Amino acid sequence: MGEPFATFVIHLHNSQPCDTVRAMTRIRSTPPSHPVALYVHVPFCRSRCAYCDFDTYTGLEFAMPAYTDAVCREIEAAGERWGSPPVSTIYFGGGTPSLLPLPLLRDILHAAQAAFRLSPAAEISLEANPGTLTSAYLHDLRNLGVQRLSLGIQSFHDAELELLGRLHTQAQARAAVAAARESGFRNLNLDLIYGLPRQKLCHWQETLRTATALEPEHLSLYGLAIEEETPLARQIAAGALPAPDPDRAADMYEWAAETLAQAGYRHYEISNWARSGQECRHNLTYWRNEPWLGVGAGAHSWLDHCRWANLTDPLAYIQATAEGRTPIIETTPVGPEQEMGDTMMLGLRLAEGVATDRFRARFGLALETVYGETLRHLQDLDLLTWDGQAARLTPRGRLLGNQVFVHFV
Amino acid sequence: MDQSQIRDFCIIAHIDHGKSTLADRLLELTGTVSERQMTDQVLDSMDLEREKGVTIKASAVRMAYTAADGQSYELNLIDTPGHVDFSYEVSRTLAACEGALLVVDAAQGIEAQTLANLYLALEADLEIIPVVNKIDLSAARTDEITLELADLLGVEPDDVLCVSAKEGWGAGEVLEAVVVHLPPPRGQPEAPLRALVFDSHYDPYKGVVAYVRVVDGELVDGQPLLLMATGVTTEPIDLGIFTPQMTPTERLGTGEVGYVATGLKTVRECQVGETLTTATRPASEPLPGYRPVKPMVFAGLYPIEGEEYSALRDALEKLQLNDAALIFEPESSQALQFGFRCGFLGLFHMEIVQERLEREYELDLIATAPSVAYRVMTHAGELLEISSPVDLPDLSTVEEIHEPWMRIQVFTPSDYIGPVMDLVTRRRGVYETTEYLDAQRVLLSYEMPLSEMIVDLHDRLKSVTRGYASLDYTFIGYRPGDLVRLDVLVNYEPVDALALIVHREQAYEKGSALVRKMKEVIPRQQFKVPIQAALGSRIIARETVSALRKDVLAKCYGGDVTRKRKLLERQKAGKKRLKQFGQVMIPQDAFLAVLRLDED
Ligand SMILES: Nc1nc2c(ncn2[C@@H]2O[C@H](COP(=O)(O)OP(=O)(O)OP(=O)(O)O)[C@@H](O)[C@H]2O)c(=O)[nH]1
Ligand code: SF4
Ligand SMILES: [Mg+2]
Repeated sequence: MGEPFATFVIHLHNSQPCDTVRAMTRIRSTPPSHPVALYVHVPFCRSRCAYCDFDTYTGLEFAMPAYTDAVCREIEAAGERWGSPPVSTIYFGGGTPSLLPLPLLRDILHAAQAAFRLSPAAEISLEANPGTLTSAYLHDLRNLGVQRLSLGIQSFHDAELELLGRLHTQAQARAAVAAARESGFRNLNLDLIYGLPRQKLCHWQETLRTATALEPEHLSLYGLAIEEETPLARQIAAGALPAPDPDRAADMYEWAAETLAQAGYRHYEISNWARSGQECRHNLTYWRNEPWLGVGAGAHSWLDHCRWANLTDPLAYIQATAEGRTPIIETTPVGPEQEMGDTMMLGLRLAEGVATDRFRARFGLALETVYGETLRHLQDLDLLTWDGQAARLTPRGRLLGNQVFVHFV
Repeated sequence: MDQSQIRDFCIIAHIDHGKSTLADRLLELTGTVSERQMTDQVLDSMDLEREKGVTIKASAVRMAYTAADGQSYELNLIDTPGHVDFSYEVSRTLAACEGALLVVDAAQGIEAQTLANLYLALEADLEIIPVVNKIDLSAARTDEITLELADLLGVEPDDVLCVSAKEGWGAGEVLEAVVVHLPPPRGQPEAPLRALVFDSHYDPYKGVVAYVRVVDGELVDGQPLLLMATGVTTEPIDLGIFTPQMTPTERLGTGEVGYVATGLKTVRECQVGETLTTATRPASEPLPGYRPVKPMVFAGLYPIEGEEYSALRDALEKLQLNDAALIFEPESSQALQFGFRCGFLGLFHMEIVQERLEREYELDLIATAPSVAYRVMTHAGELLEISSPVDLPDLSTVEEIHEPWMRIQVFTPSDYIGPVMDLVTRRRGVYETTEYLDAQRVLLSYEMPLSEMIVDLHDRLKSVTRGYASLDYTFIGYRPGDLVRLDVLVNYEPVDALALIVHREQAYEKGSALVRKMKEVIPRQQFKVPIQAALGSRIIARETVSALRKDVLAKCYGGDVTRKRKLLERQKAGKKRLKQFGQVMIPQDAFLAVLRLDED
């Protein structure tokens, strides 16, 4: 990037180039000059996991064909509105995208190919639940052009999997990894969760060792967050389970960071590790605060200095799209100040941090001018390093990220 | 209205026995408030009153009533607060009435403020109409309480009215009793005007609005008035009655209750207890007036954001216009910078003031631990009055420290005499007497330092008696005590706003309890934070808040950005509620930890 963003500040002061505004005035949006990341939300799950507060629904599988149609239509409309922008990554997230029958997935991919300029080297990822995968499905996925598979393993202990309310067992998890390899997936991510109630460091060590032994290209390690209104939160509130111990979670994280470094993984984001070159390009778009387009129920988008969100209820989403109405429920223009803040809050999650030249190219202002004082303050607290070139979290800062991020909201 | 057809009365009771609800029924029955406008406790018009379900300020209302004798009467009702902190409102109200409805909850029975308010009313020469309320409750012990009440007042059980204010049972009999049993106002209609200001509030347009009862003569719209205590004359903007909204009228005759919008801009010019008379034909003698209320409890109020200091001052000034009992003066603290030392009638009053400031004036405040006012005699013969522990001079210069003592009366079932005794003596209480009201109910009297009382005595009493005991107290005087200052150090720095004055014998115990409590309320920070209690240079207790190790959102992907930003915004707002002290963030709770040392 660089030049395209140089006019940015002026641009924003002059007008509010918002999707809805344009929709009303029937002006075509300026096509994004930067490749766009495409996110497809698949809000279906077999059953709900005990910790999950994502936008996902059970018992709605019957609606998958109609949902696919709706998504295709939304993609088509987006292609028109944004003038077939280049798309360099597609990510099927959920929910459980691997519940979508192959023909439906194919329809969506075809719609994307038709609506956008899909780069031949595009990264196409799909999230899959180890409990619902078959070899045949994986083969077909590969043939469809999906090269990156993200498996929701979470743990290699059956007791923990049960506590989390996952459908699969650790044996199924291993089998899923093997099947994915067999089907030719060379870019495999495993999602793991640590910091469970009652989980001991040694349990976690075992899970992570098992995971690394499978040699995935990518690992996402998430500290368990107890979200309100989830079964897990209720169990803890009722005293049936102890709350997770944050200090122990910190030990687990530190141990994991050390172990994965030795195993040759690059710790490129707070919760993400990858073999060099196998970082998830799609997710990097988010963290670099670059534009993405989300389609499907509850999907969010960030494009042209606006954020917007779709209807969350899949049936309402289907209906709106079928009736030719926009599924967008809320559009928020983002001013330069907030965009700078977001760029910090997201960018600091990355090992590369936020670099001053990129920042200047984008906002026309030096990082030092905007945040110098804050950065030095945080440096004094040993939360980040700021050498005038780039700001990066320290290892301590990674564990205390929120203490840093609050300065940018 | 002919003076003989007027009745002025108030409703008094222990807190929550149903005064305001009974007032609702009377207003309904007399058609003063239409069914459509009726809400529960309609006279509790302040937001805070409605929310807490508690009357904070007395309110007056006029009702027209046609009695069983076919005649029309004008009834002036004043509903009073039941909480002991506001008992001065009750005493002021009494001077504007000839009678009082003494309401007792049929399930709770007679309680401490039932007695305290009854004695106030008898002292003011009021006729008492006993009323047992809430007889609809399944736990009601109507017959038993009726007998107790009759016994207490020396009347026949038949003279006790039994009502359910909630259901409206017996409300008509209450009105009849008011008409039949209470005398009309006794004043002289022909004499020069004397009107008692029994309450007031401030209105930005009308200035101080005085609530008055015309004792002699009459108040006529357009007359210039003389305020006898201050000598101020004023031409009122208007006068009127409460219906319960303020409704202008031409005149208020002898015995009538209403308001005068004085147009005066400061309450100092028209204080509660003032006598209004006409400037052209002034009365020769003012009415007796009131003893000014003295605040008992003091605390610092500080804005969390330093810039809000002047906003806080403005807010306090405005609030004081409606709350004569509130006093304040500027104060500064190393830890909290600039704020005000405020005096309150009690902890409940303090809580109400803080909430009103935060809510009505949108301020974020930190309150320091409440303290009482001490009198310090120095060797040099000086007498200092200090209301903040920080001001206590070096003990080597001090001859003696005196602290305020109270007489407390605990009304409790006799089963709990033991636990009450324990509780009170642990707090340096000195036993005085036991009076049996009957075989099961006793009134225990003690003397006790006020400082021991303000710290949750009421809650503790309730908990050791399973909610049965009630408490009343009055100030008796200053007495010497062996007192020392307990300092609290956070991260090795003394925090002046956390210092306490305690009895020497309790210093160790209080110090350890305090640092333990502080450890619970101070959130973990990026560094470990030692908390120490010290007497002079000697550390007597220590705890450590261990460092926060993990505080990070594990996930932040596309769709999350907005949500995650909101979470962070909330976290940031939460931080704003903390006071930065050096590197350490201290929450409001820490300053009040001292109030909860007895919990565990
Ligand atoms: N069951 C029942 N409840 C009642 C009755 N009268 C009042 N209450 C309830 O008792 C509670 C207190 O009533 P209030 O009228 O606010 O009492 P109060 O004496 O004015 O209280 P303070 O002004 O705070 O001293 C409320 O929840 C009322 O609904 C009654 O006759 N029967
Ligand atoms: S599979 Fe994932 S999205 Fe579905 S319920 Fe479980 S955690 Fe939630
Ligand atoms: Mg009331």
